[in-house]
Amino acid sequence: MWRVVRRLALLLLGALATPAHAEDVLYLYIWNSYLSEDTVRRFEAQCQCRVNQDYYSDNEEMLAKLEAGATGYDLVVPTGFAVETLLRKAALRPLDKARLPNLANLKAEFREPWYDPGMRYAVPYATTVTLLGYNARRLAQLGLPTDTWALIFEPRYLEKLKGKVTVLNSQRELMAAAMKYLGYSVQEIDPARWDEAKRLILRAKPYWATFSNSTYIKDLAIGNIWVAHGYSSDMYRAQQDALEAKRPFAIEFRTPKEGAVLAVDSFVLLKGGQRPDLAHRFIDFILDGTNAADVSNLIGAGNPNAAATPHIRPEIAGNPGIFPPPDDLRRLEMLRDFEPKTRRILSRMWTEIKVR
Amino acid sequence: MKGRASAWLWAAALTVYAFLYLPLAVVVLFSFNDSLLNAEWVGFTTRWYATLFADEQMLGAAANSLLIALTAATLATVLGTMAGIAMQRWRSGLLRCLPFLVLTPVAMPEILLGVSLLLFFRQVLDLTLGLVSILIAHITFSIGFVAIVVRTSLAMLDESIFEAARDLGAGPWQTFRRVTLPLILPAVLAGFLMSFTLSIDDFVITFFVAGVGVTTLPLQIYSMIKVAVTPEVNAVSTLLMALTLTLIALAARLAPDALKGRM
Amino acid sequence: MTERRSARHAGGPGESLTRWLVSLPPTLFLLVFFLAPALLMLGASFREPGDFGGLAPARQDGQWNLSLETYRFFFGDWIYGEIFLRSFLVAATTTLLCLVLAYPLALAIARSAKRHRDLLVLLVILPFASNFLIRIYAWIIVLGPADLLYSPFAVIAGMVYVHLPFMILPLYTNLEKHDPALLEAAQDLGAGTWTRFRRITLPLSLPGIWAGSALVFIPVLGMFAIPELLGGTGDILVGNLIKEQFLESRDWPLGATLSILLTIAVLLLAGISAWAGRPRRSSP
Repeated sequence: MWRVVRRLALLLLGALATPAHAEDVLYLYIWNSYLSEDTVRRFEAQCQCRVNQDYYSDNEEMLAKLEAGATGYDLVVPTGFAVETLLRKAALRPLDKARLPNLANLKAEFREPWYDPGMRYAVPYATTVTLLGYNARRLAQLGLPTDTWALIFEPRYLEKLKGKVTVLNSQRELMAAAMKYLGYSVQEIDPARWDEAKRLILRAKPYWATFSNSTYIKDLAIGNIWVAHGYSSDMYRAQQDALEAKRPFAIEFRTPKEGAVLAVDSFVLLKGGQRPDLAHRFIDFILDGTNAADVSNLIGAGNPNAAATPHIRPEIAGNPGIFPPPDDLRRLEMLRDFEPKTRRILSRMWTEIKVR
Repeated sequence: MKGRASAWLWAAALTVYAFLYLPLAVVVLFSFNDSLLNAEWVGFTTRWYATLFADEQMLGAAANSLLIALTAATLATVLGTMAGIAMQRWRSGLLRCLPFLVLTPVAMPEILLGVSLLLFFRQVLDLTLGLVSILIAHITFSIGFVAIVVRTSLAMLDESIFEAARDLGAGPWQTFRRVTLPLILPAVLAGFLMSFTLSIDDFVITFFVAGVGVTTLPLQIYSMIKVAVTPEVNAVSTLLMALTLTLIALAARLAPDALKGRM
Repeated sequence: MTERRSARHAGGPGESLTRWLVSLPPTLFLLVFFLAPALLMLGASFREPGDFGGLAPARQDGQWNLSLETYRFFFGDWIYGEIFLRSFLVAATTTLLCLVLAYPLALAIARSAKRHRDLLVLLVILPFASNFLIRIYAWIIVLGPADLLYSPFAVIAGMVYVHLPFMILPLYTNLEKHDPALLEAAQDLGAGTWTRFRRITLPLSLPGIWAGSALVFIPVLGMFAIPELLGGTGDILVGNLIKEQFLESRDWPLGATLSILLTIAVLLLAGISAWAGRPRRSSP
């Protein structure tokens, strides 16, 4: 009890005495559930510093918050298109490769991303696929397919799932899923095709429970929701949570056969960050094989780090939802940001989707 | 005849009381639930309170909330008391618009205050969001509450006291310090407690103007509700309830009329 | 009374200085941190969105970069009007339900023995000593297993639950002041319970009803957390829309326009409520 009071008092005094950015604190802005506590603690022990994390559950949210003035972060973990946006805004600090010897650990195919040629600003950290996670027992009982977007778009399947489906609360992601199902590219901006996607979504919407970027993890694990549109790493977490809580069902996840969105998330340094030195140390730490493996073993995300491969547990390495096989990879696309005018049209369409 | 009406009335009243209490009782009860997912009752445990006190992020948020609430409440009380006095005593000229300025933030939906401050901090001040931005935002919406309470309290005072002080040769500051302040002190304190409570509980406005590395308890609870809903949320909710209850009870003791009269 | 007071306090150099010293700090603070942002919001609604979000510069290459684009966008399509309408509907429903639930409780407390009243009021305030998010979370726990989560019912339940005390307290304050002699006289004249309520209690409580309604209706209009956490796919309200513009679509001008329109709606409502609830005759 007194320990707590003392700690609270110390924190209070600490907050009062020091300026906003205390010494030896690394400010990290990252996806929720994307960095395990174990990893953080090991880094903190190694660098004798503190890592302060804030979370977001959507790239748009992150970009908007940064735009809105959250400028003190050292590191952010944007997906490819968001890196492009940040670069165009000249918001990023170039990497000092001399401080990143472990950069050599990265797999060859990740070294020349389209959004950052020459890998001058972004260090790949993890990959996820936006796919469908589901309650295996329920879906088997109902005799529903688990490998297609039709599961969340076709009324004949949705009828059996009414009120038990959630989709991502993300303009780009939901549209991308609809586009993929209809056979178009996620970058398509043809108004007629957007209209088609909109009608597809509106037809399915009455059967969906809600739009959710993060609550679906616990909803799946508890069993309130049977199908969720979300990120593969979140599905892995739901799977593990359900196992731990000894739920009478298993959560599984698969990439739909029509294709999906692939996200490569990288660490970037923001110009407004105060501790680029700590930021570089952190990135190098993460690039080390054993540490990099955490993002797969503990988070359930795909791994761009070759040195991590021997440390990754076989059941994770073999999970096609986490490490997409070449067949799947061919059907995966990465998102690219739209022009402001297009964004406004999409935003208006999104409003219509929400209201109708 | 009268007895029967009262019985029906009380039955209805009790139903509403039950409606008020049951959900929160569930929250408190489930803070002792020995289940990670908190979907159904598994068993009794106090480990979530232990987790709570070991949670650095949570403790940091609590410290921030306390610090902000104390500072914001103090400044809001000072400014709000001044505003309350001004509204009560001087109603001519430019000061006619003071009530509008003071009361509108109280009446507006919080989201409007939040986004307009966000806009202001970014476009005009180019301020990095953080502790200061939250502080300013909290003071802005608290001033009105304090002003209302103080004004009501002043209105209930007998004017002749001030006249007597004046006749005895007291200057404005003396009158304030030795006559006014002691008389309105309960209201001022009630206003302080109210501002403190409002600040600690605020979610919407803080949501828009919070910055890097500065999170408050409500923001922390919000992100926990969305992502990591373990009974730890229930535990922190229970403790927070106990705290704000104590403060409100104190405020109600100090200036019950002033608090009710503002309505 | 007012005239006499200000006449007595008028004059004297100390008075003028005091007036400035006391009224300036809060006025200045509010002008800077409340009025200026509000005006900024108005201005922002006429600007273009920046390339990456935020606002584009107001002046570009010596030319004003302003337009009525966002207003045209808003009024050119019924969809935004629909959301405003839906928000008003939810607010009205919430207010009505709050009234129905609050009235018996407020009346019961007002009619109870004087020594019990403070405790009873405290018992009303007690649940609301909890953080508003906790109150929402309570409903997530209660409704989840009942399969009622993510529905309009959940949203209304949450709204009512969060705003109930704002209706109870003004009603109670008003009802407490009713003179029981009036009711006794009516009873002596042969009026039944319902008639007494309908013709005496209810009309006298109107100012309280208006005050409480304003305190519920207006905040509900701006809420976003409740629809977000409890609502289903069709339950988005104006608050959600505004939040989305600032924190997701990065379309600040549109967000500003929505905010301005909401502000106008609120000011109108507050005005109506103040006018309707004004004291009808000279009261002590």
